[in-house]
Amino acid sequence: MIRSKGGSLAILGIVALFLSHLLQAQPSLDLGKEIYMARCSMCHGTDGKGDGAPSRALNPKPRDFTSGKFKFRSTESGSIPTDDDLVRTVQSGLHGTSMIDWGALMSDDSIRAVIAYLKTFSRRFTNEKPKPVRVGTAIPSSKASIAAGKRVYEKLQCAKCHGDDGTGANAIQKEFTDDWGEPIRATSLTEPWAFRGGVTARDVYLRFRTGIDGTPMPSYKGSASDEEMWHLANYVLSLARKPVWAMSEQELKAFYDSQREWARNNPVAWGKYLVETKGCGDCHSPIREDGSMVRNLHLAGGQKWEVKPYATLYTANLTPDKETGIGALTDDQLRLAITRGIRRDGTRMLPFPMPWPSYASMSEEDVKAILAYLRSMPPIKNQIPERETPNIFSYLILKFRMLILKEGFPAFIYPGNAGMAQAGKEEQQ
Amino acid sequence: MKKFLKWTLIVVGSLLVIGFLGFLYMIPPLTVIPQEEFINGTSAMHQTLDHIKNPVERLMAERGRYIVLTTGCSDCHTPQGEMGPIPEKFLAGGLALAADYAGTVYSRNLTPDPATGLGKRTDAQLMRTLRSGVFHTGRLINYRAMPWAGFSKMSDEDLRAVIAYLRNIKPVRHDIPDIKQTLNIAAPPHVEIFIPGDFAKHE
Repeated sequence: MIRSKGGSLAILGIVALFLSHLLQAQPSLDLGKEIYMARCSMCHGTDGKGDGAPSRALNPKPRDFTSGKFKFRSTESGSIPTDDDLVRTVQSGLHGTSMIDWGALMSDDSIRAVIAYLKTFSRRFTNEKPKPVRVGTAIPSSKASIAAGKRVYEKLQCAKCHGDDGTGANAIQKEFTDDWGEPIRATSLTEPWAFRGGVTARDVYLRFRTGIDGTPMPSYKGSASDEEMWHLANYVLSLARKPVWAMSEQELKAFYDSQREWARNNPVAWGKYLVETKGCGDCHSPIREDGSMVRNLHLAGGQKWEVKPYATLYTANLTPDKETGIGALTDDQLRLAITRGIRRDGTRMLPFPMPWPSYASMSEEDVKAILAYLRSMPPIKNQIPERETPNIFSYLILKFRMLILKEGFPAFIYPGNAGMAQAGKEEQQ
Repeated sequence: MKKFLKWTLIVVGSLLVIGFLGFLYMIPPLTVIPQEEFINGTSAMHQTLDHIKNPVERLMAERGRYIVLTTGCSDCHTPQGEMGPIPEKFLAGGLALAADYAGTVYSRNLTPDPATGLGKRTDAQLMRTLRSGVFHTGRLINYRAMPWAGFSKMSDEDLRAVIAYLRNIKPVRHDIPDIKQTLNIAAPPHVEIFIPGDFAKHE
């Protein structure tokens, strides 16, 4: 009896606390929600799970707020971030990702309101308090400090992942997976303009001190002293190379030559960069009704295009499956398809929607790299139907409408996979 | 004599009909014209960059030219007339893409025209749009219409090279309408519609 009385009192107390909390935070939360829905939900999802429509095509993925796990903090490893950490991320963005510097478009108050709202996605923010680290006294950069930092770099075996020169080129381990199951790679330390967490010595120091939660980058608290970490930050920043926009003519020429040389020697990695940045997967993967990509069928083709009056097309399976993909095709066949629009049966493609007239201007090395990457992917069995052409009568009628009646025909893109493969279970939310 | 006339008429008439049907069937001869014509037509629209005085900017713009050309940006960003893309309006925008979850959007004018193109945009604004699909106004771009998710993986150095190129092409005054939320085209639900043409505002 007493116990249940106590229990109900406790519940009442919690409800009262909750209500007072709600009343207090309400105005800012409403505004925060409004901004979140308008600006953030596209990628981070309406319920903060990081699963908005473009998320499947993005790497790194949008943060899943429900986990309460954040990479860039000034707090102990495993702790939730402070409000100021989150403000910094929203304000200055995460460089080199799709998270922009919202500070240019939003006021401080709006940013704080949005942060108040996104904190409601994880209970960690109500149950825990952030544990800020004590940032020791900064050590200004000097030759001696950089030399000391180099010794720390060796002591902590940073080269294992980041390589001797910081580019990761000769690293022992090159492929990693983060806590969310996504492939990631060690940051190239020679390109500080792409550091997500910021480029000041303090920012770099904080990455060693707090670690990057959710990734293999640990906190070095305990294995290195505060002083050592400041030296290391100075050393890492000294590794920076010049970005192209700061180079001289000779340096830039040499840089572009070395980039081509690197591409020749690493065709798979370069091909991946090309395939991703040219957006091959945008057409060569099925889409859902909301336009999002079917992730487990990435590059497996099956998107349906109705290009009136010519044909109804199904995009090809670009994975190296022997029967349904490009596995059985020779390099020459693929090269002709990409740069001359010639199908495997020798017939010709229209000059659209496959932009082979543009791809034809690619250098020989770039085409080779693309082929190398496509051949290196895991094969996916997805039998794509043959294209359908209209019968001669309807074709002539359509052409009459197009040429004489001057009707313009838009191209229709349909959702769903026209191939045989099924969308994965995790895809069907 | 009358018989002869009648037969001539029949032959001429049927030749005309066959000719007309042949015209309908063959024109435009997209799969007969040599590939090189399409390829040269596409690359010829891209302009030379000899006028750039700063050698570093020129080298970067050349890299940008290569990226823009081989990514096919002009496929959507150059308006189309009856004979295909209009070279005088290279990268001046005006095609439309419609999707029932995103409204109708028009490809933007990428030339450095200050009033209707990118002339007044800062590098940071352009980087933001290319990498995250956010306009300078804060409007979000549907990532299917403009595949920024792919471009977001480009290195900073390549993105800046693209911007260096876009800043140095010929400016074209071409006023593009803003997003429209309603679809004018009768279409089955959940379909994306790519509409070639030129939907610029009348001047």
